[in-house]
Amino acid sequence: MLDLVQTVGRRLLAPVRWMLERAFGSELNPLKHLGALTIYFLWIVVVSGIWLFIFFETSIVGAYESVEYLTHEQWYLGGVMRSLHRYASDAAIITLALHMYHEFVYDRHRGMRWFSWLTGVPLLWVIIPLGITGYWMVWDRLGWYVALVSAEMMDWLPIFSESMARNFLSADALSNRFFTLMAFLHLIGLPLFLVFGIWLHVLRISGPRINPPRALMAASLITMTALSFIFPAVSQGEVDMSTVPASLGLDWFYLLVYPLAEIWSPGWVWGLLVGTSLLLCALPWIPPLRDVPVAVVDLDNCNGCGRCADDCPFSAITMMPRSDGLAYESEAVVDPSLCVSCGLCMGSCPTATPFRRHSELIPGIDMPQLSAASLRATIMKKSEQLEGTERVMVFGCRGNEDWKRSKAALGGSDTAAVDLICVGQLPPPFVDFVLSRDLADGVVLAGCPGGDCQYRLGAEWTALRMARERDPQLRKRVDSSRLALAWDERWPANKGLAAVVNTLRQSLGGGSESPRQKTDGRRLSKPARWALLTLAYAAFLAPVAVFSVWPRFGLLDDGEAMVSLSFSYDGQRIGECRQLTQEELQKLPPNMRKPIDCPRERMPVRVLFTADGRPLYEATLQPTGLWGDGSANVYQRLTLSAGQTELFIGLNERGEAEGFDHTLRQVVDLAPGQHVVVEYDERDEAFVLRLE
Amino acid sequence: MTLLQWKPAYTLGIPSVDHEHRALIRMINEVYRQMAESSNPEIIEAGLEDIYAGIAAHFALEERHMRKAGYEEYAAHKDEHEELLDQIREMMDAFAEDPESGRRRLQENLADWFTKHFATFDARLHDRLGDHH
Repeated sequence: MLDLVQTVGRRLLAPVRWMLERAFGSELNPLKHLGALTIYFLWIVVVSGIWLFIFFETSIVGAYESVEYLTHEQWYLGGVMRSLHRYASDAAIITLALHMYHEFVYDRHRGMRWFSWLTGVPLLWVIIPLGITGYWMVWDRLGWYVALVSAEMMDWLPIFSESMARNFLSADALSNRFFTLMAFLHLIGLPLFLVFGIWLHVLRISGPRINPPRALMAASLITMTALSFIFPAVSQGEVDMSTVPASLGLDWFYLLVYPLAEIWSPGWVWGLLVGTSLLLCALPWIPPLRDVPVAVVDLDNCNGCGRCADDCPFSAITMMPRSDGLAYESEAVVDPSLCVSCGLCMGSCPTATPFRRHSELIPGIDMPQLSAASLRATIMKKSEQLEGTERVMVFGCRGNEDWKRSKAALGGSDTAAVDLICVGQLPPPFVDFVLSRDLADGVVLAGCPGGDCQYRLGAEWTALRMARERDPQLRKRVDSSRLALAWDERWPANKGLAAVVNTLRQSLGGGSESPRQKTDGRRLSKPARWALLTLAYAAFLAPVAVFSVWPRFGLLDDGEAMVSLSFSYDGQRIGECRQLTQEELQKLPPNMRKPIDCPRERMPVRVLFTADGRPLYEATLQPTGLWGDGSANVYQRLTLSAGQTELFIGLNERGEAEGFDHTLRQVVDLAPGQHVVVEYDERDEAFVLRLE
Repeated sequence: MTLLQWKPAYTLGIPSVDHEHRALIRMINEVYRQMAESSNPEIIEAGLEDIYAGIAAHFALEERHMRKAGYEEYAAHKDEHEELLDQIREMMDAFAEDPESGRRRLQENLADWFTKHFATFDARLHDRLGDHH
């Protein structure tokens, strides 16, 4: 099941990969830098945010005006910063979503990698609220709506007994203090969690890539700045609580659930959010990755050189003080809870040389499921089956589906395919061995497509080792023209590997061109590449620009108005107060001898609201508070047709079905988009309609 | 015939590196002994291959110590290591191709090859690291 989902997911990604590979090339392919790109976009958000904060005023009137000033008076700088702040935040959501998708479909979230996945999920709960509080702080009509619905969502949680949403229904209920809270969350609280969360997220990754390549950084900043000039982010009008905008431009990247909260009760929305998050958290264990034996250190062959520890992509190897009494300082120790069994350590071990034919081939660090000795045996066996004068031995990563398909298509008695756990598992002396002992005439190393190594660093380390830039280096005496590295993107025809093998074979047959360059021979022409690049950036930024305001979300249909019921009412006490008798008082401790005993509990409150006799809201509300002694809260937003309407509200303070203790009946002429609030004035003990 | 002799002057002061130097000398001497005594090329080849693995690992360890100490001649020393590994591979291949001439070449070069590196590069490393140990 999981396999099917992941396979479909990979197939869907394949054309995107292919296009990006053609446009950006393997090194710069953004799909390989999604996590780093997300962090980079957050950096843009931080820098632009600092500029915005300098001019921002944390007050009801000041907030909107200061943002307007930035947007219009200082459009060339403040306005651009504001737009960058928004677009980079939105871009971060895209790369973040792709990052999760990518790691999931390539099965990089299970097994020992559960930690990075699990610590990534809570980051969503930091980043999304950052966006929400950001829109809130602007305090335009969108900010008001975000505040209102967020407060309604919060009200559902059993945290506050008073309604928080009530604060956003009338201007005089709102105080500047609220902006202080928002500013604290948006500027300090949440970012602090974010930094800590990212640190935790990459904790188990060795040499995590926090920064994407410079070219990507520069290009995305330039294009995003251009977008900011073309489509500057603007506010959506000053808050006026007596009217409701017919529709709002929602930033769907951050506010996706808000329309849902209009249809569903907050409980369901919370359920969806928490449920989805829990499902995401549980993904690494549905089903768990079966246990694979981890790398094994052989102390007789380990002198503590530390190369495996340097090359391990997941910091699973540490150099510890020697434990066997030999004259060495340190030894490699594998932490089984971190090891993903990729074999990169074996590829780095200087003792993993296949030339040791007469002593047992046990390297200092070995993979039990595909040991150096068994690898050499396979090579020898496959070599015997090879025929011809241009025999090619191809090594590939056995878990990779492209490899599985390609190797079946290789065929021929002059080509042999050898499985590795990861291409980085192959120690360079093995290449030397195959070529110098005439086991084959050429060697092809086929890594995961696009160099997007399943184990992060296998392709990279291999390329560097073969280029003699990283230890262990391929011996200089090995003829590089007999070696080709193929992590070409092979979509759609999946013929890339066969093409690489053929090119190598041609060069073996007398060609002088280096096959390593020839594998890149299918590069696009410059204009085509630039066209693809432009298309790629457009395809990335167009949704950023569009979905940050569109499609607009309609709050009211044409000719509709909104009525909010918002008040608290203390229901009747459940019983009468009672004078205690002398005897009863005597029994009580002296400090508790209160002569009158009043029951604290209150009765529920029944409320009925009708428009032209049509009931729109009818509820029996329980008192709040732990002892049931608090007031009953009424909070409801309703839409009704504009025009002359007779509104009626009635309340029974004993929760009885018949009769009302307080009523208000009033004919109002509702204008389209008007917002009327029904309140209860405790001083006058009467309902009032707030018609601004 | 014992060709190589460990000298106290070779001591670098890093116990593991010194330990391996001694072990390598033993291995090289063993190959010489076999060349003198045995005519079975397989045994000599096996000895050479073990030396290659041992030296590759030894260089890796020595390089680690040099990097840790911030040795300023690291690059040159490292190049020499790579060069030496290429040379021993040459000797291995030469021996595999033609044991007779390979054997002659070994007898002439092997000890020389090792002591030269000892006398020049490792001696310099000793001067540099000596103060620290």
